[in-house]
Amino acid sequence: MGRKRALIRYCAIRLALAPLMLWLIASLVFILLRVAPGDPVDAILGNRANEIAREALRVKLGLDLSVWQQYSNFIIGLARGDLGEALVNQEPVRDIITRSLPASLELSITALILAISLGLLVGFTGIKSPESNIDLAGRIYGISTYALPPFWAAMLMQLLFAVLLGWLPVGGRFPPSLIQPEGSGFLILDCVINRNWIALQGTIRHLVLPASTLAILLSGIFSRALRINLERVLQTDHIQAARSRGIKESQIIAVHALPNSLLPVLTIAGITIASLVGGALLIEVTFSWPGIALRLQEAISQRDYPVVQGIVVVIATLVVFVSVITDLLVASIDPRVSY
Amino acid sequence: MNNFILTKKIKEKILKSFLLIISLTIILAQNSCKPNRNSSRIIVAGAGKITSLDPAQASTFHALQLISSLGDPLYKLDLKGTLQPKLASGPPKISEDGLTVLIPIRKNVLFHDGSSFDAEAMAFSLKRFIRIGTLNYILNGRIAAIETPNKFLLQLTLTRPSTSILNLLTSINITPISPTSYSNYKNKFLNNKFVGTGPYKLTNFSSQHQKLEPFEGYWGTPASNQGIDFIHLSNSTALFSALRTGEIDVLLSTSLDEDHRRSLKIMTTQGKLKEGKGSALEIGYITFNTKTPPLNNSNLRKALLYTIDRKLITQRVSFGLRKSLRSLVPSSLNKRANTLWPKYNPKKARDLMKKAGYCNNQKLSLSFTFRSNVPADKLLALTWQSQIKRDLHDCMNLRLNGIESTTIYRQLGEGAFQVVMLDWRGAYPDPEAYLVPLLSCSKITNTHCEEGEAAASGSFWSSNWIEKALKRSDLLTGQARMNTYQQIENRAVDGGAYLPIWLDEPRAWSQNHISKPQFDGSGQLLLDHLRKLN
Repeated sequence: MGRKRALIRYCAIRLALAPLMLWLIASLVFILLRVAPGDPVDAILGNRANEIAREALRVKLGLDLSVWQQYSNFIIGLARGDLGEALVNQEPVRDIITRSLPASLELSITALILAISLGLLVGFTGIKSPESNIDLAGRIYGISTYALPPFWAAMLMQLLFAVLLGWLPVGGRFPPSLIQPEGSGFLILDCVINRNWIALQGTIRHLVLPASTLAILLSGIFSRALRINLERVLQTDHIQAARSRGIKESQIIAVHALPNSLLPVLTIAGITIASLVGGALLIEVTFSWPGIALRLQEAISQRDYPVVQGIVVVIATLVVFVSVITDLLVASIDPRVSY
Repeated sequence: MNNFILTKKIKEKILKSFLLIISLTIILAQNSCKPNRNSSRIIVAGAGKITSLDPAQASTFHALQLISSLGDPLYKLDLKGTLQPKLASGPPKISEDGLTVLIPIRKNVLFHDGSSFDAEAMAFSLKRFIRIGTLNYILNGRIAAIETPNKFLLQLTLTRPSTSILNLLTSINITPISPTSYSNYKNKFLNNKFVGTGPYKLTNFSSQHQKLEPFEGYWGTPASNQGIDFIHLSNSTALFSALRTGEIDVLLSTSLDEDHRRSLKIMTTQGKLKEGKGSALEIGYITFNTKTPPLNNSNLRKALLYTIDRKLITQRVSFGLRKSLRSLVPSSLNKRANTLWPKYNPKKARDLMKKAGYCNNQKLSLSFTFRSNVPADKLLALTWQSQIKRDLHDCMNLRLNGIESTTIYRQLGEGAFQVVMLDWRGAYPDPEAYLVPLLSCSKITNTHCEEGEAAASGSFWSSNWIEKALKRSDLLTGQARMNTYQQIENRAVDGGAYLPIWLDEPRAWSQNHISKPQFDGSGQLLLDHLRKLN
C-alpha cells in the first residue's frame, strides 16, 4: 500500500511539474527564435520586397509588437490551449499539428514495433550461444546499426529497394493516384475503418521503407539491452533455483527471466517513442514523410514562430507524458522499483 | 550460462516468426512491384510543399505553377513574349494621357463553382489582391481606381502613366477568383481551395498532393489529359529516383540538384526521357556593397567585373545547363541586352586592380557570402575562389562565407555583406521587374543610395539619372522603352555594383509515354498540354 501511494505521489508531482516545465521550454523556444537571425517577413518575401512592403507585412503579422507583448500573447494563448496561427499562411497551428502528428506517430510506432521485434530476435539469438560467431555477429549488428548515420542508411535503403529493385516507393506517405481516406490521420487505421483495402496496401507500401530503416537503426540498442540484461538475469540465483526445481526452460525464460530483462527495454522504448516523434527528421526528409519533424524543419527555415513554438510544446508534452507512463509501467512490472 | 539452452519449441517459434516476417516482407514487396496506377491520369512532381493556393498569398514557384493551371489571367505572354488575351477578349486600350486602361472582358466564361466571370469578378479579385495580397507591392501604387463601366468592360484608373501595367496584368497573383466562393474570404486567405476559371478544377488538396480534374465548362481548349496528380517530395534525390523508377510521369526542375539535372539531361539524349524548356526568367547575380571600403572604389568594382569566367563557372556548376548572363534582364525580355557586362578578362582585371592600388604587394581580400542552403551558390563560390587563385593570386583572394538565405535577406539592407550571391525572378515578366528592384532609389547622394530598393538590395548604388530613366521608361513603349532599359544597364555596368552570372531555365522531364513538356512565356509548365501517348 505504501509503495502504491508513493507511486501515485511521484506521478502527481511529475504531472504537476509538467506545466512549469512546458512553460520553461516554451519560453526558451520563444527567446531562441527571437535571438536567431532573420525573421518571418524575410522568409515570406525573400529579398524581393521593398521596405514599405516589409513593414506592412510585419504589422499584419503582429511582429511590430514589442517582444514582451508577443511573449505575453503567446503564453496567454498557450494557457488557453490556443497555439496561434502560422505566419506564412494564417493556418491555425493546431490544424498543422493535427495533420502532421499522426504521420509521425504512425511511423514511430511501426518502427518501434519492428525495432523491438528485430532487436529481441537478435538478442535472443545471441544469448542462445554466447561468445559464438552468431553472438559476435549480433553484437556487431547492435553496435553498427546504432552507429549508422540515419541519412546514409535511409539513402542506401532508398537506392536499394526503391531505385534498383523497384519494390517500394521512393517517398511520400500515400499513392498519388488514390484519394486519401478521411478520419484520424492514422492512414492504416483510416483505411481499415473505411474498408479501403487498395488504399491500405498503398499506405503500407509507403510505410515499409521509412519504418524498416528507422527500425534497423533502433534495433541495435534493443538487441544490446536485451542481450546484456538477459545474460545477467539468467545468472541470478532465482533462475538457478527455478532450474533446480525442474521448471521447463521455456517457462523459466518466459515467466522468470524475460520480465526482468525487459525492464530496460521498456524504458528505452518509452524514451525512444517520445524522441522519435520530433527526432526522425532525417528519415522524414529523405523519404518525404509528411510528419511533424519535417514540418518543424520547414517552420524553422521559414521562421514561422507560432508553428515552431506549437510543435516544440506538443513534443515536450508528449515526452513528459510518455515518460510518466513508462515509469508507471516499470513500477507495475518491477516491485523492486521505489519512488 | 551454459545451462541455458533454448528448447526445441522455442527455437521453432523463433524460426517461424522470423520466416513469417521475411515472407510477409517479400510478398508485400512483390505485390508492390508495379504501382497500382490509374493510367489515364498524369503524375507531376516537384520539390517542396504548397502551403497556400490563394493567389493573393502564393509566392512559391509550385503554388504559382498550380494556380496557372487552375485559373486564367487577363493576359498571358506567349513564347515570343507577346501579350495574348486570355480572360480579356482583346488588347487593352490606353487613353491618350496614359491614365486610363480599358480592358474588354471575355464573355461566356464560368468559374469552377458555376458562377459567371465578368468585369465585377475581375474587379473583386484585383481589389482583394491590393487589399490583402502579400506581394501587392508589385502594383507600387499604380492603380487609383478599379471600375466596371459595363458587365464586360474593366476600367483601371492609374495614378501615373505606366506601360508596364500591361505585363503586370499577366501576373499569376491577380488571377481572378470566384466572388461567390470567396465571399467569406474578402479580407483573409483561403489556402486550401481555388475556384477560378482554368482548364482544371481542384478536387483534392493537401500540402503534399493536389488532384486536378479537367473542368467540363472550360471556355477554351480542354485539357489533353484526364487529370493531373501534383505531388511534392522533399528532396532532389527522391524526385530524381521517382522519375527514374517510373513512379511519376513528369518532373519539374525547380530545386533539383545540378547532378540530377545533368543525369536527366543525359537520359534525355539517350532517348530515355523527354525534356522541355521554358523561358529563363530567374537570374543569378553578385552584389557588391559600394557603401564601405574597399568596394566604394569604383575602379576596383570595375576590375571585379572582369574576374569571373562565366563559361567555366556554368560548366563546372551546372554542367552547361545554366546560361551565362551579361545583363540584369533575362534575354527573353530584352534580346539585345545580354552582352552589356564585360567578358572575363584577367589581364584587364589585373590592370584595373593595379590602377586601384592593388597587385603590387598589396593583396585585396574580399569576403564572398553565399546562401549555404543553395547548393549551386556554394559550387559557384568554390569555383570562383579557385579561378581567382589561378588567375589573380597576387592581386586578390576570396574568403567564403556560407549563410542561410533567410539570414542573408534580413541583413542585406544593413550592408552586412561585402560581396554576396543572390538570385532574382521578377514578379511579372517585364524588364522593369528586374531593374527597379535592383537600381531604383528614393534618396540618392551622388551615387550612394540611402533609401530605396538599391539600398535594400545591398549594393547601395544608384544615380539620379537612373532613377529618372526608370520613371521615364514607364511612359515609353516598344523599342524606345527597350533602348532606355539598355541605357540604364550601361550605366549600371559603369557603376559596377552588380555582376550578372547566369540564367536558370525552367525545365521539365517526362517519361517517353508522355508528350514533351511545354512552357508558356512566363516559365510555367502547361499542364493541360501534357498527354499520354499510345
